[in-house]
Formats: sequence, C-alpha cells, structure tokens
Amino acid sequence: MRASTQNRIGDAFSYLFMIVAFVFFAWPLVWLLSLALRTRKEIYLGVSRLIPHDPTLDNFMAILSSPKFALYLWNALKLSTMSGIVCLIVALPAAYAFSRLPMKGKGPWLMGILAFQMISPLVIMIPLYRYMASLNLLDNQPAATLVYTALVVPMVTWILKGFMDGIPKSLDEAALIDGATHFGVFFRVILPLSKPGIASAFIIAVITGWSQFLVPFLLFTKESLTPIAVGIFQYAGTQNDSSMQVLAAACLVSVAPAIIAFLLLQRLILSAMTAGAVKG
Amino acid sequence: MVAPWLMPLIFILGAFYLYPVMEVFRLAFTNATLLKVGDSYGLSTFIDTLGRPELLQILFVTFVFTGASVVGQQILGLAVALVVVRGEQRRLIGTTILRTTALVAWVVPGIAGGIIWKMLFNEAPFGGLNSLLRLFSMGPVQWLSDPHIAIWSAVLSNVWRGTAFSMVVMYAALKAINPVLYEASAIDGARSWQRFFYVTLPQLRAAILINMILITIQTLNTFDAIISLTGGGPGRATEVLSLYTFNVIFRNYDLSVGAVLSIIMLVISLGLAIIYARFLPKGEGR
Repeated sequence: MRASTQNRIGDAFSYLFMIVAFVFFAWPLVWLLSLALRTRKEIYLGVSRLIPHDPTLDNFMAILSSPKFALYLWNALKLSTMSGIVCLIVALPAAYAFSRLPMKGKGPWLMGILAFQMISPLVIMIPLYRYMASLNLLDNQPAATLVYTALVVPMVTWILKGFMDGIPKSLDEAALIDGATHFGVFFRVILPLSKPGIASAFIIAVITGWSQFLVPFLLFTKESLTPIAVGIFQYAGTQNDSSMQVLAAACLVSVAPAIIAFLLLQRLILSAMTAGAVKG
Repeated sequence: MVAPWLMPLIFILGAFYLYPVMEVFRLAFTNATLLKVGDSYGLSTFIDTLGRPELLQILFVTFVFTGASVVGQQILGLAVALVVVRGEQRRLIGTTILRTTALVAWVVPGIAGGIIWKMLFNEAPFGGLNSLLRLFSMGPVQWLSDPHIAIWSAVLSNVWRGTAFSMVVMYAALKAINPVLYEASAIDGARSWQRFFYVTLPQLRAAILINMILITIQTLNTFDAIISLTGGGPGRATEVLSLYTFNVIFRNYDLSVGAVLSIIMLVISLGLAIIYARFLPKGEGR
C-alpha cells in the first residue's frame, strides 16, 4: 500500500517534469512552425495566434520555389552524402584493423585518433584555407568533401570499431583457418555483419555534414556551391521584421531533412551513440 | 600487415588535420596576416596577443558561457535520463516522446539553432518567449539587448541544443547500473532520495566526469550557434573565445594573432582530452 502510494506520487512528479521538459524542447520548433504558417498580418499577433486563423503555405512555396534554396539544399545533400561515403571508405578498413589485426600500441593510436575530435575545426581552418588557396582548391566541392570527412572520421572509426568488436571472433577465425585472407574476411564476413553499424555511422556522418558551417563558409566563395547552413546564415542576415514568416519557413526547410533522417533511423543512431559514448 | 588498412585514415587526418595544426604553431611565431605572408619570426605576436586588454573579458565570457552550459546540460540531461528510465520501468505514457523531442533539438544545425532562438528571443511581438510571458502578464525581458541577460540567453539556447548528448550518455550509464544494488538498498529500507544519493550518483561518477569533459570541449568549440544568435553582442557580452578567434582572423585578417588564440583553444581542449583519456577504461582493444 505504502509503496504504491509512493510510486503514484513519483509518477505524478515524473509526468510534471516530462511536461515541463517537453515544452522546453518542443517550444522553439513549435513556434518556428507557427511563424512559418502565418501571413504577414498574423506575425505581429504573438502567441495569441499560436495556431494561425489564416494559415498559409505561401512562405514555404516562396522558399521551395526559389532556385537559390533548391541549390543550397542540393549542395548540402551532395556534400554531406559524399563525405558520408568517403568517411566509410576511410574508416572501415581502419576499424577492421583496430578490431582484428595484431598491432603495436593500439591503445595510443586509438586515443590519438580520438584526440583529433577534440580539436576545434576553427583551429585548423586558418592554415587549411591558405593551403587550399595555394593548391587552387577553393570553390571545389570534392576538396571540401575531404575536409568534412576529416572532421568526422575519428568518431566514425570509433563507432565502427566498437561495432566490429561485438562480432564474434570465432567467425573470422574459422574463415582464416579455411584459407581466407584478411582481405577476404573483411569483405565476406565483417562487412556483411556490420551493416547496422555501417548504416548508423553513415547517418551520423551525413547529419554532421549537413550542419557544417565553417568549412563551406570559408572554402566556397561562389553562391552556387554553398550548402544550406551557410545559405540560411546569409539569408537571415538580409531579412527584417516584416519577413520573419519567410525566414521561419526557410529555417524549417533547412532543419527538416536532418530531423526526418534522424526520426526514421532513431533506434539505429541511438544504439551507435550509446555504444560510442560508453566505450568512449 | 596493418599499414595498408590504416593508410586512408592516416592520409586524411594527416593532410587535413595534423598538417594544419602544425602550421598553426608555425604561424603563431610569425607576423602573418591573411593578406601577406609572415616575414619575421619571433615571440612578439605571442606576447602582444596575451597582453591584449580585451582578452581577459573574452576569457571571462567564455568561462561563464561554457561553465553554465556544461552545468545546465549535465543536470538537465541527467534529470531527463532519470525520468526516461523511470518512465520506461513504470510504462508511463509520453516517455518516448520526451526522449525523441530532446534528441531532435540536437540534430538541428548550430546555425539554424541560433536563428530559431533569435526569433524566440526577439522583442518584437513575434518573439516566442516574451509573448509567452505576456500571456502570464510577465516580462518583457530584453533577452538579447541587455548585455547582462544576453549571455544567459546564449546559455539557454546552448543548453537546449546540447542536453540530448548528456541525456544519451547518462541514459546508457543508468542502464548499466546493476539492479541488485537497488534491490539491496530497498531491503535496507532506503528511501528514493537515499537511493539516488548513495547508489545512483556514486555509480554514475565516471560517466558524469567523462560527459562533463566531452561537453566542455564541445561548448568551448561552439561558435556557429552564437554567431547567428548574437554575433557576439551586445558590445562584447557574448563574444566567446572561438568567436573572437573567428573575428580576429576573418574580420581583421590577423592570421598570426588568430593562430595564437587557436593555440590557447587547443591547449585547453587537449588538456581536457588528456584528463578524459585517464578516465577511459584501460586495455588494449579487445
């Protein structure tokens, strides 16, 4: 009896906290949506029109039909997907080596790779900018893709290594005894079994690439190459109070792809994150 | 034969990370700007930069912003994780919704996060916070125009975006606590607050420490969210070290000073990383 009353009080507090926390996390996005659906007249009516009386999709139409925004989105998609792919090409063999091959000083190597993740991109961007300029690689999307890759590859290597550690060693040992090379084991045993890990690492890399700001901000001078994070920043700088509803719509358009990708693959990403977070 | 497996990784990290980091150290000893190559080497840039009158103010703002964000994210992240774990055990409705909403905030790109919060903090009628306060006949608050408040507004927006990471780490750590400990303490008649202080918190100690270091580094390196929220203003009220470095290099074209500032950031981050490494479970892979 006492325990059940205690539980019920606990539940009440839990619900109270959940509501407050939910409002805190959801309010900015709810508000953004509310602004984006308003006409210019309703913008000035504050929360009294949380659900606009006169909702309109015009703001979204304006953004989505602007060739500039379509290009920003396409550029972001291209850069983040390409960097996700390159990231896997680079990280998968390394993760295999760290998980399976005998090597000296594995611990320090792994820590060294992780240490890169601790360095702010801002630190490396100065020399990188000069060096890309001298190699004539400014305004070059493949070059920028490689920089994106460098920024996320340490974390992806760790995630993949953690995942491969979970695959029973007896499987590849059996294949090695049967005469397979490490190359064969990697392609025929480890890669097929790592599919969920590969998928979540890829998505994490793509979402990170989607929000990259500094790298494209510096490496692209042409607007036609700019991805959405830079585009929205520059667009926001040119807006005023009377176009808030359009800016809100533009903002929603820029965050929606990352949110949708995340929602679809939430469980996969979470398990990779948890493994990564706990193991390092 | 390990080398071929690691070559691509070493190439990418070497060319796009290690080499630039070494360049930063070289540049810090020159008088280079974005417009001209440095022509003399010496310690003068170092000494000038460290003696800059605004540096102290910048470091103070950075300290307040980072410290408050880290404390906020840690406490809120732990609270959400505790409630989510409890909610899952008791099968409360809405647990998954809360978890998902917190995580969604984390996927929002920093630049967009700054713009979104700028709309919320706006003092015009469409400002999402003041009009909410007005509903309860409170406010208005000068979220971004009062220099004493602006820094806390920046912290608030950063906590919104960063809490999910702490939540994930805390959630994983809570799940890893052996339930036997709770059963034993229940038999001993421990109340729930006692269970929290004598079982949960001590068990989470390592996870909290690791999380604090990771989010400190993340917050220290944040500048996209601030550049689109306040641009560092009003005055210098929200100009953190990373934003200051950005401005020195790309607004004043002062490459060598920027390099010195980068080194300060690097030293702080690597110092934290070393502490972090000491708390990681030991062992040569598996």
